[in-house]
Amino acid sequence: MKNKILTISYVLVFFASILFSSCNDYLGVMPKGAKIPTKLADYEAFIRDEYTNQRVDVTQANILLNDRNLTSSDLSYYPLWKANYMWDESADRVTLNKSDETSYYANYSAISTWNLIIENAPSATECTDAERNTLIAQAKVLRAMSYFNLANYYADTYDESTASKKLSVPLISSAVINAPYEQVTIQEIYDDMLKNVEDALPNLPETSATVLHPNKGTAYAFLARCYLQMGKYTDALANAKLALQVNSTLFDWTAYYASNKAQIENPNSYVKTVSPMGFNYVENYNYQHGERSYASSERNIPVLRATSFEPGDARFASRWKLRTVGADTYYTSTLTGFFNYGGLTTTEVYLIKAECLARTGKVQEAMDVLNAVRVKRILPAVYQPLATTDAVTALKYIIKTKANELIMTIMPFADTRRWNKEASLARTFTKVVGGTTYSLSPTSHLWTMPFPKGATDNHGNGSITQNVDK
Amino acid sequence: MKKIYSNALPHQLPTSIVRTTGNIRIFLIVGFLLISQLFFSPSIQAQTIPNSKITFGLKNKTLEAGLNELGRVSKLRVAFTLPQVEKYNNISMPKDTRTIKETLDLLLANTNLTFVFKDKSILIIEKTRTKQESNNDKYYTFGSVTDLDLVPLSGVTVRVKGSDQTAVTNADGRYSIDVEKGSLILFSYIGFETREIEAKKGLINVTLTPSIINLSEVSVISTGYQVVTKERATGAYVKVNKDQLGQRRLSDLSTILDGQIAGYSDGRIRGTSSMLGMANPLFVIDGFPVENTRYDANGSIIENLPGLNLEDIESITVLKDAAATSIYGARASNGVIVVTTTKTKKDKTEVSFSADLTTSPNSYYINNMTDANDIINIEKGWAAGNPNLQTNVGSSGFITDPTVNAYSSSLRKNAVYTSQGMQSLLDFYSGKISQSALNTKLNSLAGQGYNYYKDYEKYARRSPVYQQYNLNIGKATGKNSFNASVSYRNNKFADIYSKDESYGVNLRNSTEITNWLKLDLGSYTSYKNSTTQTYSALSPGYSYQTYDGLSDVSGNAITSTAASRLSTYTLDNINKYGLYSMDITALNELGMNLKNKNEFSNRTYAKLNVKIADWLKYNTMFQYEYGVDRINQLKDKNSYAVRNMVNGMATVSSTNKAVYNLPYGNIQYGETQKSTGYNFRQQLDFNKTFAYKHDFTFLLGSEIRESKLEYGNNSYYNYDPEMLSYTPVDQKTLINTYGTIIGGASLSAASFAVQKELVNRFVSVFSNFGYSYDNKYLLTGSLRWDRSNLWGTDTKYQNKPSWSIGGGWNICKESFFDVAWVNLLKLRMSYGVGGNIAKNSAPYMTAYYTPNSNVGGVQGTINSRPNPALSWEKTTTTNIGIDFSVLSGKLNGYLDVYNKKGANLLSNTMGVPTEGWGYSTYAINNGEMTNKGVEITLNAVVLKTKNFEWNASFLYGYNKNEVTYVNVKAPVYFLQLDYPSSYPRIGNSYNTIYGYKWAGLSSTGLPQVYDKDGEVVSSNPADVDAVVSCGSTVPAHTGSFGTSFNYKNVVLSCLFVYRLGYKVRNTNLAYLPSVYSSATYNYVPNITTVNKQISNSWKQQGDETKTNIPRIMYGYESDYSSDLYDIYSYADINVVDASNIRLSNVSLSYQLPTSLVKKASLNSVRFNFNVENLYTFAVNNDAKYMLGGYNAPNFVLGMNISF
Repeated sequence: MKNKILTISYVLVFFASILFSSCNDYLGVMPKGAKIPTKLADYEAFIRDEYTNQRVDVTQANILLNDRNLTSSDLSYYPLWKANYMWDESADRVTLNKSDETSYYANYSAISTWNLIIENAPSATECTDAERNTLIAQAKVLRAMSYFNLANYYADTYDESTASKKLSVPLISSAVINAPYEQVTIQEIYDDMLKNVEDALPNLPETSATVLHPNKGTAYAFLARCYLQMGKYTDALANAKLALQVNSTLFDWTAYYASNKAQIENPNSYVKTVSPMGFNYVENYNYQHGERSYASSERNIPVLRATSFEPGDARFASRWKLRTVGADTYYTSTLTGFFNYGGLTTTEVYLIKAECLARTGKVQEAMDVLNAVRVKRILPAVYQPLATTDAVTALKYIIKTKANELIMTIMPFADTRRWNKEASLARTFTKVVGGTTYSLSPTSHLWTMPFPKGATDNHGNGSITQNVDK
Repeated sequence: MKKIYSNALPHQLPTSIVRTTGNIRIFLIVGFLLISQLFFSPSIQAQTIPNSKITFGLKNKTLEAGLNELGRVSKLRVAFTLPQVEKYNNISMPKDTRTIKETLDLLLANTNLTFVFKDKSILIIEKTRTKQESNNDKYYTFGSVTDLDLVPLSGVTVRVKGSDQTAVTNADGRYSIDVEKGSLILFSYIGFETREIEAKKGLINVTLTPSIINLSEVSVISTGYQVVTKERATGAYVKVNKDQLGQRRLSDLSTILDGQIAGYSDGRIRGTSSMLGMANPLFVIDGFPVENTRYDANGSIIENLPGLNLEDIESITVLKDAAATSIYGARASNGVIVVTTTKTKKDKTEVSFSADLTTSPNSYYINNMTDANDIINIEKGWAAGNPNLQTNVGSSGFITDPTVNAYSSSLRKNAVYTSQGMQSLLDFYSGKISQSALNTKLNSLAGQGYNYYKDYEKYARRSPVYQQYNLNIGKATGKNSFNASVSYRNNKFADIYSKDESYGVNLRNSTEITNWLKLDLGSYTSYKNSTTQTYSALSPGYSYQTYDGLSDVSGNAITSTAASRLSTYTLDNINKYGLYSMDITALNELGMNLKNKNEFSNRTYAKLNVKIADWLKYNTMFQYEYGVDRINQLKDKNSYAVRNMVNGMATVSSTNKAVYNLPYGNIQYGETQKSTGYNFRQQLDFNKTFAYKHDFTFLLGSEIRESKLEYGNNSYYNYDPEMLSYTPVDQKTLINTYGTIIGGASLSAASFAVQKELVNRFVSVFSNFGYSYDNKYLLTGSLRWDRSNLWGTDTKYQNKPSWSIGGGWNICKESFFDVAWVNLLKLRMSYGVGGNIAKNSAPYMTAYYTPNSNVGGVQGTINSRPNPALSWEKTTTTNIGIDFSVLSGKLNGYLDVYNKKGANLLSNTMGVPTEGWGYSTYAINNGEMTNKGVEITLNAVVLKTKNFEWNASFLYGYNKNEVTYVNVKAPVYFLQLDYPSSYPRIGNSYNTIYGYKWAGLSSTGLPQVYDKDGEVVSSNPADVDAVVSCGSTVPAHTGSFGTSFNYKNVVLSCLFVYRLGYKVRNTNLAYLPSVYSSATYNYVPNITTVNKQISNSWKQQGDETKTNIPRIMYGYESDYSSDLYDIYSYADINVVDASNIRLSNVSLSYQLPTSLVKKASLNSVRFNFNVENLYTFAVNNDAKYMLGGYNAPNFVLGMNISF
């Protein structure tokens, strides 16, 4: 009997000792299929997460400009879309904006990731300091690009006289849960963007790992975009030139048209061809998606919008084709695949350069730069170089080409807001629907998008003030 | 109090206790014995004590000394009081060898004392009583009461018939009572047949046989960790015995329990107690928790019911409150279902065989839906109201208006509408066919009734047939007991190619190696092979109308040609590039792409039970579980699914030829899931009664558990099942294929292979104690610590135990409670905390990594934010219950009232958009929820005669769930409407259905609802604040009513199951849903089979006062919006009362007469005929349809033989 008790006691003690000594190891088993990022490569991989971090959704900007065709379903289903599309200044877009959030959410989720990299890359393992600095620099450029999109969507355009007084968007620089943030002024957000990109430049590579990773060209191109938006033409011009030193290739759309002529010119064929404007587009400095991160077609455009393209525009003809189904007629997309709507391209930098030249009195040089783009767009049969000596006329030529070339990106919206400040360039949009004339004035409050309700309701550790009343 | 001494053993702790039996008081003293001495003392069987011989003698001693000497010699305890014995001196008796009884007779010969043997003690009592007895013709009767297995029954009521004299058996089943000569003694006990025995003097041992009528009252319940007597339980346990299930078909575990347990409904015990964690109860089979976790097709984790041979079930105990469940720690809060399997009783060989055949008529209920005539009328309405078709028919009978022609042919060419009716109309308006041709066509279609569904029933469905057989063999010899069962099931389902076949083998053996060491071994193995049809003619890959069919008049399968449903542009491309045919012949597709699944699982355990002493046991047990599920699906290259995929992936080459990026051929899909798990437990059980009254049980143990799940699937393209060969494909190119000729297909990395793994580990220490005083007052408690790899590393969460405390009071045992017709009255109370977990939550920030097919390299996606405060969910349950049994058990039952308060529940909280988590909710432990309820169980023997018996049972459960705290608000209205459980609202039930408040139809027949300001709108309020609660999907009142009539060998029984006070969203609306038309980039109403009530829709002004069914809209109206369907479908008028009573089972069984059966050397033969789900009574017809109340019942024919 005693032996029995002893034996059992030993067994118990044995198991108890195993249990307590190895309990933490035993329970420390980590889940598979997911891991805790520790290496620099683990953080670097977030740049390739296109859905979370590389989307630039500017749906309402496209709709306001009538760059996108809305169907009767869209108009009846989305009151906010209808308000912007029909330029309804009486609509209270603040309360209508209950489901259109991606512009805000996608940019801030990217910012969160870039903050995470900037916070954690310094302590990440298995890398050299140079690799560490490069990744941090790339994250800073991408973060600045996100802020540019937000600042030019949800807040007034930059105006030196008011930029220090008017509020822009929340500036958040930490990925920690409940991190505090401040809704800074327009001046502060621009200063932050410029400082970050200038800081980043020395650590950026000439050519980066993928087109999703910014390189030096991206940074120069972005600085050019940013300075132009601030009206600092000399700085913009200098950076545009630097960017074009990195890449100045333009895609030859006339050649593309020629090789796809049969398909493009067949009015009854809606077979979609693969978009050349994807990851390998020769004009890319970097690549970011538009509203969709998967392969898809472009949005259809209204018949009226199509009339603003130049005759013989091969780029337009390669992308959209007239289609009638039942009682509806519109230009339907004929390309499918990926489109660099969110990143920076050489076309934009050429046109920034052209505008800066025109602004600084070098009209002839400006027209040369503009024509360098146009000659790759307009079919040789109809191509005529544009010529003028008047700066305003030159600017109007540039504006028209830029709005068409960069359609579906944020730039036509951002540019139009900027040009609207100048009497000579301000534009009133008009259209006639069902016998009623609708118009959009350059001073309309519609040119600033309200923050989504989800963001103002659930603002976290900071406060958000709408920059527009309705 | 008189001082009392006990002599026998030197170490004593004198105490005084009063014991009352009848009117006579005996004062005893009991020494608490030192434990070591007790189990080293020789074991003497109580019955043999009086006859065991001792050598004893004494000379001129006091009686006190004599008794002490006797104790020393006999090694028995002799108990007496000093006043009893001090007056007797000078006692002598010659030394001799006599039996103890003879010795005592001599010793007490000249005294007024006598003696009684009790356990291993001799009680000295005064003879006066015995004298009185004999004077009054009274007997002093004593003995023990056991069940058939000679297991003592405690708490048996022993009553003298016709008098109020009552006694109750103690923990060892012993009783003693004074009876008058010639009277009858009744032994009654819940769950057993009452016995009458003629009184006699002295020992009467009684064996009780279990009663068949008192089904739900049983003496012993198993918690999985220990076996406790019902009498001593303080928790809310409900036990269902095999015989209660006997006449129903044992189809699966959840249906077995349907209507058997108050508070159990729809797989949940006492409502929903978790938001994001697991909500299903924990299953425990023969002492081991068995989890049947699998990944589903979407990669989510699902819990399946555990496998077992259902015929082996001896009993199922449902543990409902904290006192019952908290020993299960981190998995306790959803309740626990403990299954115990049969074990052959001592020295018996049992063989039984059962067979069941179930079928139900082939039927597909469609009568509440639109028929062909309704659809044609709707289609005609489309044309009649279309502003683009307003023209006159020319004299030729053709439409000649070029605008109308162009409009119509454009719609026709673009395949915007593809039904026969719409195409005929478009052909007419395009000028292709005449008015009379159109009318002929439409009339013929309108006369087709429910043709498509009739064909569906006829060609794609059959009468399901379910067969199940079970053979059970049990043999017990001496110290070994062996049980084996084999079950076989063969099911043929309503879908003509769906079937399964399964085998289960269960082996158990229990051996007493020595009298202190017992070994139990068991193994359950199951194998299942199933075939599932993956194609349904109800969603054939094209849109159909009820006037269509699957087979033509001559019996040939109907083909939906590509030309009949694709746009001319698509058709041109198919022809131009010579793509594979896009025709679909539904009846040929049925038998293709069948999914074949093999499931093998094994569960093996060993339990070692060491009896250290009668009162101390050591248990160690180990179980290993292994399961492999394999799915094979050969997607036939002739199937539409494969043709469509290959065509969809085709692109144009530089030479303008089709390039099939995916090789044309069979596609082989394989999936393997492997689950392994082990559970190692050891525990010490202490169980001892002191001084007859103080009963202690104590349990201490530890447990280690791991479960692991590995999942993998892969696909092979252009697979040859004969050669087992396949074509390697370029995955990267395929993933990046776009710009395809006709579109409609895409591949992702998951189209080639997927791997997943889940590991859960637990380490637990637990303890449990019970104390009962005199079986009247009960106190229980339990405590358990769990640690797991599932939750946070913060020790403040790891070290929080789950615990419970419970009390009970057997009122009927009180001397003041003297009501003869009450056999049992017990009050129970418990309070405690149980836990729950979410299996796939982790405390750290995790990211997952996948290849990036666009730019190459690996992409990382943040999966979850770090949540170091992740802990287990905590549910505190208060339970008060009453158990009662009256009129000799003819009416018995329970009443329980509970309040379950969940705290730290994993609940969603909104991510902050500015922090980058605008679309994400993430789970933190901050939800709170209560479940309050009442449960009543009543069982009654209504009438009982020699040949006839009528029993009835009534179960009632009330549950009210309320979310008391969450910190989340749906950011968008549709999330609140579509995912109510992700965004619970404080003050509502967790299972609330949300909707808009209905405001009637507008004067133009549009649906209207109230917005958040109470304004009537006919547009979508699109505001979370306009969304209101419409009631809960979980019934407030559930239960059942069962009754059975036994006449001789025939039993007729029926069971009604009711669920009252809940809602269901009616999705069978009399309104055309909207569908996206890719040709027009617009939403258009989808003319399809809908609720027949659409014929009562709003037609003209004024109808809005008569009907709530909106105007039929076709999309071209200026006031049309695809939102109108949402407004209507989300309106609270379409959340309907789902209260119903279901006649769940009617059964008639016949037991062959024993005389006949014995001739065939059989033990018993029973036949039964059941009807399952015979009829559903529902408050609302739409709800009845939604709940399947119109489905055909099942008919079951069964046979049961035992040898």
